[in-house]
Amino acid sequence: MKTLKIAIVGCGKIADSHAAQIGRIRECEIVAGCDTEPLMAQQFCERFGVKRSFSDLAQMFAEVAPDVVHVTTPPKSHFAVAKSCLESGCHVYVEKPFALNEEEARTMITMARERGLNITAGHDDQFGHAARRMRALVQSGFLGDGPVHMESYYGYALGHTGYAGALLGDPRHWVRRLPGKLLHNIISHGIARIAEFLTTESPRIIAWGFTSPMLRRMGESEIIDELRVLIREGESATAYFTFSSQMRPLLHQFRLYGSKNGLVLDQDQETLIKLRGDHLKSYLEKFVPPVSFAMQYLGNLKTNLYTFLRNDFHMKSGMKYLIESFYRSIREGTPPPIPYREILLTARIMDAIFEQIARREPGISIDVSTINMTAEDSAGVDRAIVANSRVTS
Amino acid sequence: MSYRLQQPVGKPDFIVAAEDPILITGATGFIGLRVVEQLLSLGFRNLRCLARPWSNATKLDVFSNSKGDRGRIQVIRGNLLSREDCATAAKDVKVIYHLAAARGEKSVPDAFMNSVVTTRNLMEACILAGCLRRFVNVSSFAVYSNAQRTRGRILDESCPTEKNPHTLADAYCFAKVKQDEIVEKYGEKYGVPYVIVRPGYVYGPGNLGISGRVGIGSFGIFLHLGGSNPIPFSYVDNCANAIVLAGLRKGVERQIFNIIDDDLPSSRKFLRLYKKNVRWFPSLYVPPALSYGLCYLWERYSVWSHGQLAPVFNRKKWHNYWKKMRYSNQKLKDRLGWTPSVPTSEGLRRYFEACRTEE
Repeated sequence: MKTLKIAIVGCGKIADSHAAQIGRIRECEIVAGCDTEPLMAQQFCERFGVKRSFSDLAQMFAEVAPDVVHVTTPPKSHFAVAKSCLESGCHVYVEKPFALNEEEARTMITMARERGLNITAGHDDQFGHAARRMRALVQSGFLGDGPVHMESYYGYALGHTGYAGALLGDPRHWVRRLPGKLLHNIISHGIARIAEFLTTESPRIIAWGFTSPMLRRMGESEIIDELRVLIREGESATAYFTFSSQMRPLLHQFRLYGSKNGLVLDQDQETLIKLRGDHLKSYLEKFVPPVSFAMQYLGNLKTNLYTFLRNDFHMKSGMKYLIESFYRSIREGTPPPIPYREILLTARIMDAIFEQIARREPGISIDVSTINMTAEDSAGVDRAIVANSRVTS
Repeated sequence: MSYRLQQPVGKPDFIVAAEDPILITGATGFIGLRVVEQLLSLGFRNLRCLARPWSNATKLDVFSNSKGDRGRIQVIRGNLLSREDCATAAKDVKVIYHLAAARGEKSVPDAFMNSVVTTRNLMEACILAGCLRRFVNVSSFAVYSNAQRTRGRILDESCPTEKNPHTLADAYCFAKVKQDEIVEKYGEKYGVPYVIVRPGYVYGPGNLGISGRVGIGSFGIFLHLGGSNPIPFSYVDNCANAIVLAGLRKGVERQIFNIIDDDLPSSRKFLRLYKKNVRWFPSLYVPPALSYGLCYLWERYSVWSHGQLAPVFNRKKWHNYWKKMRYSNQKLKDRLGWTPSVPTSEGLRRYFEACRTEE
């Protein structure tokens, strides 16, 4: 089997995770690290034993001709870098968020299709151990006819230190220049989980975002760190998406309810819990389910321990699985592991969310025309908006 | 504060005069504030403090106002990752105290960017400005490699630094080694007049944690790893005092100075005093042979499992942190005329008092 030549473009924090996981995959080799800041490229190559470092993309293509490029630059440059890679004949793995908007995402996918290349988005959270077990159960018909309702929770800790501290204190921070600002850089994991199970192309979106009291006390008014989204497709499934910096515990959960049963996936704990659809009689409902849940958690513990002992329980095991699947699709000429439809739908939903949030105006609390809520209900809700729009493809 | 430098401003063995512009990066930090304070007390009247846009400069403002030094401190908001900000900050300055660095970063790229790229930008700005007389690079003890030195030997400025810092899995160490390298490179290649200072563990009000050299509390109980090892403490005022002198004394270009206090307590003594003066907590002493063995096993497992457990404990780290060494500050005293103005006993007393207040 031919060894795939891999290049990493963008040598920041997430590039480390990519390099570490690629190092666990057979028949591939990182041949180059590239960053507009030469020192960053050099440090990456030194630490991961990569032979060539570059600060110029064209030079890298000319000199090492990689088969696959991982784009791990800030989101604003994803489109331009991925476009260059595709034009140079490389398959591309783009970190999340895939693009700044659906239009860019569509162009990238079209380019890949036209050239017979594969491209994928770094939605690696969907490929962790528990997430894969969940997918298998859904495909086996465990839910019944399909999802009736979904709930995706994505918590994010904001503090005074590190990335968050820098973002909050720096009016020039690159995250502030993204269309969805902080949300844009983070929520795609949680949205993609929902998009995977949506069947229509034009779900109805209602988004409500606001700046948390904690951030407002810090003098921040631009960054939205609390987001609630309602998604509805046709007359069938609905979904809630919750992004919160304040809610505790910080959840990374996905709840899936079908016509027969439900599932609860906890990404942090790598647990998957089955929710029975039928009710037991009388007091049995009070005693049997707790035992059943206890047994299920013990089962998850056993699975996690076994996976750890088998040496396959790395923190980014989902990323390894996704990368491995992506490389396999390249070798075998099959479609990439994440359907393009899902990538586009994720981008489309995010566009709708950001568009609605951008329409907010200071002082406007609630658009009562779109939701049945009284003015009294909305009292005290500051800098928020509820809007309603239909996403069109 | 009870410090006084031995050399007042204007004396012939200082390289700058009171009106010469001095830049302090990281001026709002734990050590930076004291450096500013000491420069002011020496009579320097043209201090430029570079602070990140998001850092809290209140202490600096309050401090300068309370000392009646309004106008002597110019606070510039900027980011060393911006070459424009570096050029603005470095314009006309004669001495730079470069204290800004990535502390507490767990990610190597982030630590590298905020220590090495920033330092490179600042040094290039100095070259363009063309009037710098001294670049004081504040490094760390973390850069030393003492794996080849036998137990109990002296660790001083002649010791080698780590050649493969990425193998320590310590973002701060990696960044500091690379920062020193780039300072030396620019010193040799472009003639930037630099001095490197390497403080030990800087403690005092403002940094109330227990040094990892004493032990770690990550596993539910405090594992005491230091035993009878002397801990290379530097009380924050003494440390700032040494840094200030490194930027002022004539004839010390390209020199390296370790900064540690006299009368260093052993890890065991420190822990006993801490428990007595601040709060008691259970601790378990881990003898050196056992801690070395555990670090070895952790390292081997990490390699075998391709990082299922990150190699945060490894033999190099053991050598750097928990092997018994002795320390010397003789060069600091001989070449800079430094003496610790706050004795260790007094420094520890203030530290414990601050810890109690915090508790």
